[in-house]
Amino acid sequence: MLSINAFNTYRIPQIFDYYRPRDLREALKLLESVEGAKVVAGGTDLVVDLKYRRIEVRALIDISRLDELRFIKLEDSYVEIGSAVTIQEIVESSIAREKLPLLVEAAESLGSWQIRNLATIGGNLCTASPAADTAPPLLVYDAELELVSLRGVRTVPIEKFFTGPKRVVLERGEILRSIRIPVSRNVFGWSYIKLRRTSFDVAKASVAVLLDARDGYIVDARVALGSVAPTPVRARGVERSIVGLKIEEAARVASERVVNEISPIDDARSTAWYRLQASKTLVSDAVWRAYERLLKIGV
Amino acid sequence: MFNFIGRSFPRHDGFAKASGLAEFTFDVEVPGMLYGRIFKSPHAFARVGRVDASGAEALGAVVLTPDDVPDRLFNPRLISIEEDTFKDWRVLTKVPRYFGEPIAAVAAPTEDTAQRALEALRVDFEEVYDPVLDPFKAMSPSTRPIHERVMRGGRWIEVKNNIAAELRYSEGDLDSEEKRSSVVIERKFHASRRYHTQLEPKGAVCKLEPDGTLVVWTTTQTIHNTKILISQVYGIPMNRVDVRKVLLGGGFGSSIHTNLVTLIAVGLCLKSRKPVKLVLTREEDMVHDHVSFEFYMKVRAGATRDGSITFGELDNLIDVGAHQIQAYPILGTSLGWFVSLYKWRAVKYHGRSVYTNKVPSCAIRGYGAPEITWAVETVVDELAEELKIDPLEFRLANYRGRGEIFWGQGPTVKSIIRSDGVPELIAKGSEIIGWKRRESPRVKTGRFRRGVGVGRGFHTSGAGGPLSGAIIDYTGAVVKVNEDGSIDYITALQDHGGGTLDAHIKIIAEELKIPPGKVRVVWSGTSTTVYDVCTHASRGVFTGGEAARRAALEVKKKVLEYASRILDSVSPEALRIEYDRELSDAVIFVEGAPEKRITLSEVARVAWQRNWGSISASVSYRATVAPPSFTVYFVEVEVDMETGVIKPIRVVAGADIGTVISPELAAGQIHGGFAIGWSWTVGDEVSYLENGVPAHRMSLTDYKLPTSMDLPSDEDFIVLFASTYEPFGPFGAKGLGEAASNPVIAAVANAIYNATGIRFYEIPMTPEKILKAIKEGE
Ligand SMILES: Cc1cc2nc3c(=O)[nH]c(=O)nc-3n(C[C@H](O)[C@H](O)[C@H](O)COP(=O)(O)OP(=O)(O)OC[C@H]3O[C@@H](n4cnc5c(N)ncnc54)[C@H](O)[C@@H]3O)c2cc1C
Repeated sequence: MLSINAFNTYRIPQIFDYYRPRDLREALKLLESVEGAKVVAGGTDLVVDLKYRRIEVRALIDISRLDELRFIKLEDSYVEIGSAVTIQEIVESSIAREKLPLLVEAAESLGSWQIRNLATIGGNLCTASPAADTAPPLLVYDAELELVSLRGVRTVPIEKFFTGPKRVVLERGEILRSIRIPVSRNVFGWSYIKLRRTSFDVAKASVAVLLDARDGYIVDARVALGSVAPTPVRARGVERSIVGLKIEEAARVASERVVNEISPIDDARSTAWYRLQASKTLVSDAVWRAYERLLKIGV
Repeated sequence: MFNFIGRSFPRHDGFAKASGLAEFTFDVEVPGMLYGRIFKSPHAFARVGRVDASGAEALGAVVLTPDDVPDRLFNPRLISIEEDTFKDWRVLTKVPRYFGEPIAAVAAPTEDTAQRALEALRVDFEEVYDPVLDPFKAMSPSTRPIHERVMRGGRWIEVKNNIAAELRYSEGDLDSEEKRSSVVIERKFHASRRYHTQLEPKGAVCKLEPDGTLVVWTTTQTIHNTKILISQVYGIPMNRVDVRKVLLGGGFGSSIHTNLVTLIAVGLCLKSRKPVKLVLTREEDMVHDHVSFEFYMKVRAGATRDGSITFGELDNLIDVGAHQIQAYPILGTSLGWFVSLYKWRAVKYHGRSVYTNKVPSCAIRGYGAPEITWAVETVVDELAEELKIDPLEFRLANYRGRGEIFWGQGPTVKSIIRSDGVPELIAKGSEIIGWKRRESPRVKTGRFRRGVGVGRGFHTSGAGGPLSGAIIDYTGAVVKVNEDGSIDYITALQDHGGGTLDAHIKIIAEELKIPPGKVRVVWSGTSTTVYDVCTHASRGVFTGGEAARRAALEVKKKVLEYASRILDSVSPEALRIEYDRELSDAVIFVEGAPEKRITLSEVARVAWQRNWGSISASVSYRATVAPPSFTVYFVEVEVDMETGVIKPIRVVAGADIGTVISPELAAGQIHGGFAIGWSWTVGDEVSYLENGVPAHRMSLTDYKLPTSMDLPSDEDFIVLFASTYEPFGPFGAKGLGEAASNPVIAAVANAIYNATGIRFYEIPMTPEKILKAIKEGE
């Protein structure tokens, strides 16, 4: 560990070069050629890490103003969001509000207005915090991530993207270009519930639920959680166990089953024991709320 | 009745603050200044060997080591008289006693060079000891002493068993009172260490004038005590130290003393002979500077079947951290809060302040009263429940009110209570909250349970008294009428940001019958003001405001004298003075002779033109009483029995502050008082790992404070003011700042009990702890 005297949050106590490429291709070239370079978007995670000297960099490549990464578009079967789109832009996007209400609900709970104006969706995913608020919704939406490098493009389902706390499948020279979210013809009830210490905080535990039901029986359920495992997790076991059940049953079973799919730890925000207890309630609450929303939409 | 008091006016510094033009310590720039950084100890308890400055000096930095500062012990807080001042601090230490204690400092022409120089310093440690973190273990004779000896006044005293200070007190026949009691309750309480989270991190800027005078801008609640301490530590005559007033971004006790950062900045400035700016980062401020005291209290109390309180016993063990700021006085005030809450017929007290290898504790809003009030108000609630008496009736029958002796600030500051709004606040508050409908927790079911609790408390207005006592408390004010009738108000008294000086302005305006806009607060310093002890103990309006009023009164007498000369009245007594709204000025006139009229401005002009001299007054004032401001808070909370999450639903906050000078600012204090109390109750704490490093909470990322979204909306937060008048206060006013937060923990804790049927004897009461208790109860 670095000495306490190495911290100085008035400064970024490191010396590095700063690049602002004109386009994505230049960004990729820089990333490939500049020794010790790292991508920066909103900087709301990275700058904190630099100040606390959790990481050292030699160069930053600023992608936050690249038009190629700043779009939200609606295609036939999917919505595509550029990685440098800010969280506040998602909150305010009419496409997102109409097609991705669950993502919007999660985005609204992220940080404060000031943070949301800087923070990007790409940064939120690439930081790979187990608490990243956009991850559980994107997990249940079955989002796909498009990664680009000078070598080409590849697509990775979000469930395969996170490999551990602060670890993702991005390789050297790769940038997350966009997030592609299939839009189903089905109507879902949705719910994002986030438990936190104060209303301006990272999650102690969070749950995203998408739900479809017919005649009071669950016909499709998708559940993902944040902050209760080394990565954001999709709770497939919970999903399987509640399809076909009546809502009351479903909420109860979901809350029982969720403990098998998470492995929370103690940290600054909460304890493992509490997270486990709270997750049970959170999942049940989220299932109920998604169901009630579904009824309101009127199917 | 009043022209200005009780009405709202734009704040004198409102525009500057809202527009960002206001200058705080951080904003002070002096040409050619160096930037300082502090080398903080990476060990909680160690002995320094060599400090190698060569690397830092090679970068062009000036380095200050323990050998460069006077080898003189001091106490950063000069509030007790010299004989009661315990000294165990050095500006820079060779024996760091807490993680982060300053060992050396650097100053360089840029912030980045300063940081690099800091990192280039090499400090060897001869020995690193296991830190002593538990105050109970600290008292064991086999534990390594944190200090072998310290100074009390000018004498050395031995420290035994790491006990920094001790106080015992007893009164009445406890044994027979206990025998008489039908119920006796004994409970243990633990209040954690909390960080002040004042908006502005501490800092200082210093420069030397060509004549050798040291000018200092710094975050402080007291410019004069800062001047005195700098003078004592560095041996500079007091008239060669000018501590300038600068806006303060909140205090809450964090700058009630002179911060080490100020003394280190002075050291760097004296060594480099250059101006120096030294400002703590937020993390340094919270991790390495000060936190609240940590209390371990045991309360025993009894009452008779008919509901009268018999005895009260308090064992009070305070973990003060590695150095004393007010380790001794806090024992006295804790006793004072305890004794003055209820009419105990017998009292027994044992207070101990204990050293540990942790960041030193200093006062936090309430100075022990929130914690003591919580413990007592919990036990009182439990006594009432045992006796099946309504807790409000029980309180009304037993509290210390009008006519009783009161000694909130400890045994040396006694006075009689003359104004008391408790009955009124209990009556009105209980009505609004719906106290009568309150149900027992036993009948509550379901997931979300609501509960209502009450907490009654008080705080003193200052620490004045009829006898001189062990505490220094006096203030001063200068009021000067300019040649056009505008007023300069010159005071050393600091406004923490709550609007204390706006109250003073109104008081002066009221006395002189001129609009508040004519009074300007002059930004002065210790060289141009008379002594004020400190803005603490909720004395800013009560004591400082009265000094301002007295200065204005003297000025008014002179104005009337001159007016009498001009108007040719037989004497000034024949004159009346009134506020004239149209002229926006005071008019002085002879009753019944309408042509004999003159404005205050005209009097000032004439006095100038005719060479009569300046109209001004300089007053030094000591209050002879320290009356209690009572607060009665009713709080409704909702507890989620499945997650342990607590929400505040409604607050009815009643305050007896005598005449309300600024209703909106006073309501603001009450909202803020509730917010800070709420955060102490359910929020965060500073805890430590085995090596003495604070666990987790090293930054605001993880030391969480409630936001406005976590607190009741305005509609659900009702503020009540009692209709009282304090005969000793300026226009009948008393203090508020601390009274506003003192009953909060108690009220919230009692509400949580009323919701869940579970009592928590430890703060913070986090959802984790609450859920655990609920599950254990199932
Ligand atoms: C006060 C505060 C509150 C916060 N609250 C929340 C909260 O409530 N919920 C939450 O989830 N987060 C929160 N955060 C964290 C942070 O704001 C988010 O994770 C944010 O989305 C990060 O985005 P960014 O653009 O700022 O990332 P940056 O800091 O710029 O980058 C983060 C990391 O991702 C990499 N990166 C960024 N973009 C790409 C890309 N396109 N391709 C490859 N790598 C990339 C960077 O190299 C870096 O390693 C908070 C942060 C702060 C400071």
